[in-house]
Amino acid sequence: MKGKRFKCLGLTLCCVAAAPVMWGCGNSSDGKTEIEIVQYKPEAANYFKMVEEEFNSTHDNIHLTISSPNDAMTILKTRFIREDYPDIIGIGGDINYSYFVDADILTDVSGYEGMKEINEGYLEIAEALELVPVDGTYIIPYVANAAGVLYNREMFEEHGWEIPETWDEMLSLCGEIQAEGILPFYFGFKDTWTCLAPWNAMVVELAPADTTKQVNKGQTTFTEQYRELADKYLQLLPYGPDDPFAYGYNDACTAFARGESAMYAIGSYATPQILSVNPDLKIDSFVMPACDDKDGRTLNSGIDLGFCVSAACENKEAAWEVLDFLYADENLQKYIDAQNAVPCKKGEFTLSPMLDGMSEFIKNGNMTDYQDHYYPSEMSVDALLQTLLLEKDTDGFLATFDTNWQRYNRDIIRMVQDYEASHGSAN
Amino acid sequence: MKHENERKRTFLLITIPILALFICFNTIPLIRGAMYSFTNSRGFGSHDVVGLRNYIDLFLDARVGKSYLFTIKLALVTTVVVNVISLILALGLNSKIRAKGFFRGAYFLPNILGSLVVGYIFNYFFTYIIPALADMTGITSLGSSILSNPNKAWIGVMIVCAWQAIAMNTIIYISGLQTVPEDVYEAGGLDGATGWKQFRYLTFPLIIPFFSINMVLCVKNFLMVFDQIIALTKGGPAQSTESISYLIYNNGMSGGQFGFQSANAVVFFIVIVVISVAQMKFSSSKEEQL
Amino acid sequence: MKKTSTVGKSNRLVLVLLILGLSTIIFPLYMTIVIAFKQPSEMTNSINGILSLPKTWSLANFKEAMRVTDFWNSLRNSLLISVLTVVLSILLHSVMGYTLGRNKSNKFYNFVYLFIVSGMFVPFAILMMPLAKQTAEMGLANWFGVILLYVVFYMPMNIMLYSGYLVNIPLALEEAARVDGASTWRTYWEIIFPIMKPMHATVAVITALAVWNDVMTPLVIMAGSSQNTLPLAQLNFQSQFGTNYNLAFASYLLSLIPILIFYLICQKQILNGVVNGAVK
Repeated sequence: MKGKRFKCLGLTLCCVAAAPVMWGCGNSSDGKTEIEIVQYKPEAANYFKMVEEEFNSTHDNIHLTISSPNDAMTILKTRFIREDYPDIIGIGGDINYSYFVDADILTDVSGYEGMKEINEGYLEIAEALELVPVDGTYIIPYVANAAGVLYNREMFEEHGWEIPETWDEMLSLCGEIQAEGILPFYFGFKDTWTCLAPWNAMVVELAPADTTKQVNKGQTTFTEQYRELADKYLQLLPYGPDDPFAYGYNDACTAFARGESAMYAIGSYATPQILSVNPDLKIDSFVMPACDDKDGRTLNSGIDLGFCVSAACENKEAAWEVLDFLYADENLQKYIDAQNAVPCKKGEFTLSPMLDGMSEFIKNGNMTDYQDHYYPSEMSVDALLQTLLLEKDTDGFLATFDTNWQRYNRDIIRMVQDYEASHGSAN
Repeated sequence: MKHENERKRTFLLITIPILALFICFNTIPLIRGAMYSFTNSRGFGSHDVVGLRNYIDLFLDARVGKSYLFTIKLALVTTVVVNVISLILALGLNSKIRAKGFFRGAYFLPNILGSLVVGYIFNYFFTYIIPALADMTGITSLGSSILSNPNKAWIGVMIVCAWQAIAMNTIIYISGLQTVPEDVYEAGGLDGATGWKQFRYLTFPLIIPFFSINMVLCVKNFLMVFDQIIALTKGGPAQSTESISYLIYNNGMSGGQFGFQSANAVVFFIVIVVISVAQMKFSSSKEEQL
Repeated sequence: MKKTSTVGKSNRLVLVLLILGLSTIIFPLYMTIVIAFKQPSEMTNSINGILSLPKTWSLANFKEAMRVTDFWNSLRNSLLISVLTVVLSILLHSVMGYTLGRNKSNKFYNFVYLFIVSGMFVPFAILMMPLAKQTAEMGLANWFGVILLYVVFYMPMNIMLYSGYLVNIPLALEEAARVDGASTWRTYWEIIFPIMKPMHATVAVITALAVWNDVMTPLVIMAGSSQNTLPLAQLNFQSQFGTNYNLAFASYLLSLIPILIFYLICQKQILNGVVNGAVK
């Protein structure tokens, strides 16, 4: 009896001790330089798998590993705290990038040859994301996305509806569609983040691009800049489903794909999900007209994916070589085809037909970054917008926005004001 | 006497290594984590020490206050609902019925379904199925999704939490019922104790330890509710279902408020410990009475 | 074991209630299965659409789900982690639960008990960053570290369960063994440990289930290693801009099977508990 018990115990402990040996770790570094990329878009995992394979089969001196984990931000942050930095980091141009620059995690990539071929518009966007101006460039924009209004092309052609170019035209189009018994817009406001999509598309035309920076400097308030926007956003609500807060992003995509609405105000990133439900749907897009002057329109577009090189990367030359491969025209084109993305590189690329209505803006460089790229995520502006849409209290919303902004950005505001004080207010 | 010493030594030899392991991977990281609560850290990069600022902010932050109210309300209601149902269920599954194995397997299922599945199904249920049923039966108050109504969304969260948690609590009650010797019932039967009386005066007193374990586990699980919030509402609508854990994770880990939310986590930890110790003290005094 | 007719009646009532309650489980399960067999193009927002049977009962979704998650490798990792955690938990937590449960009158042990149990209430978010750092420093940023952490995380709950169970085990049993000259250690493994079998099964089920479904610990601790557990691999199905519910549901159904089998095995042990006989 006793023997049996102890044998059991001993056997288990042996298993526990032996298991690491059985597992082993297959790290074969046969004199090659190892380069590791972590990129944050899991939906593009297949593309990056292909890049990894092709790169490794054509390069003898470098071994490339690309991981596309879900929840990459958590993984990156936990790796940073262990001081375990990937060589190249693929992230979007949003506030996390701002934080990474501020934390001195990234290296200056302005010396990289390929930088010259990047569209200046996107470099300016990247520059603007720095909390306080710093020397050098820290991200090489890869692709951008665009947000506006997706519409059902066949439905529009059948009814002869025109693409609206001003806010009034937008509203009268909605009225027209509704009169025919069709739902103009579908909203998926149950997923709070979708509340930001129409907001972002409209704010670029109704408030200065650097609103948040002006607020940080104490030059303006959101109450001043966002009132018209909030009012106009509320005017769209009656043209959506009865209880838009009951439906999520997925419901809205499905509904739009099934022809339950004529339009869907969301970014180009939604098209794969929509097409998975109805592969035959003809989708096109147009720029959300939020102001009364059609020349005041601008496309809401920001850096969806860019690559940064970590300060800890030991072999910069190898990193450049990997980047050369990634930014080669034929590879970039494959990414664009797979993800309906907009390239950040100059040159001739074939864009998805779903971006037809926006291509003119892209060609002319008439683009403005997402304003939410400047909002700290913990402030949950999406939830504030959901509250606005539910309670329809513009004054309350604007007041909350201003007080919360001061509260959540306290350290940044102090940093900006210190910077202003020491560098003078030279914009 | 020799025996007493041997016994004491054995207990000490068991306790010390296990306690050391616990301190190494629970207490020390907790202290290290608590250190961040005195900084304005974002979780990485450099940070400044800000003293007690985070703690002062915590008491002034309306959003945090709201999340405590929501979480406590949810935890109280769900704990009662879950314990009542799972106790009844455990008694049912422990009685002599047909196909017991099948029932026990089936009632365990909610606990294993991943939260993506649970979230999807219950969203569908609340968004499409309930309103359609309400239409058919003419109950207008259920005509729209309860998850889209800031005043009712917590009920939806409560239902899903309970639905998932009942399985585990039932298992604990069932294993508790196994410790009740058959002869207790036989003796009780002679005294004419059946049904409710049998449960109240014979069964329940014997499973009080399991009742208090379940109470503590429930209060803990529901005060720390997170998965169901992510799956169901992500804090909405209008921030009405932001639980404390949701705020700590979402704003601290995903967002840039790491230092502030660490302070929130420290305070939250102390609050739960106080609640639970009080609860354990209370139920152990009950145990002694019986 | 004598039965009167009233018991028979109430049992029938119980059966009816259990069947009614079952509908709250059958219905979601039915939805899960139907969705797992459908194609994304069959998804609609109407009730008929979601409740209707799939056009074809093809296993294609399951095959694809297995490919995407690298099923057999992920399954092996998940099994290894779960099994080792459960075994270690039963061995370590039971003996610790016994030690603390039998010494509740001692101030030191009572303090240790409360100290460990209060560890249950530490929000994981506050431990995450320090643990990520600490495990890396100790060379434990791998599955072995994950197991160690699980053993610590579930220690409070399991100790509580074990020492709760002890209350109903009479001291007389141990005292008898002691009179025979057995050491405390031996008495424990030979007499108490086997008696606690129903509790071992309960602890095994609860711990296995928690480990089986856990995402955060392996995500944070094993970040950057190429090893995946099943829940980690299942993250591949969802991203902010698109979720393939059909594949995901197929995958969740697959990963549900091992744990369900494990539960059914343990459930038998909970029932066949020897404690009734022993106590008599």
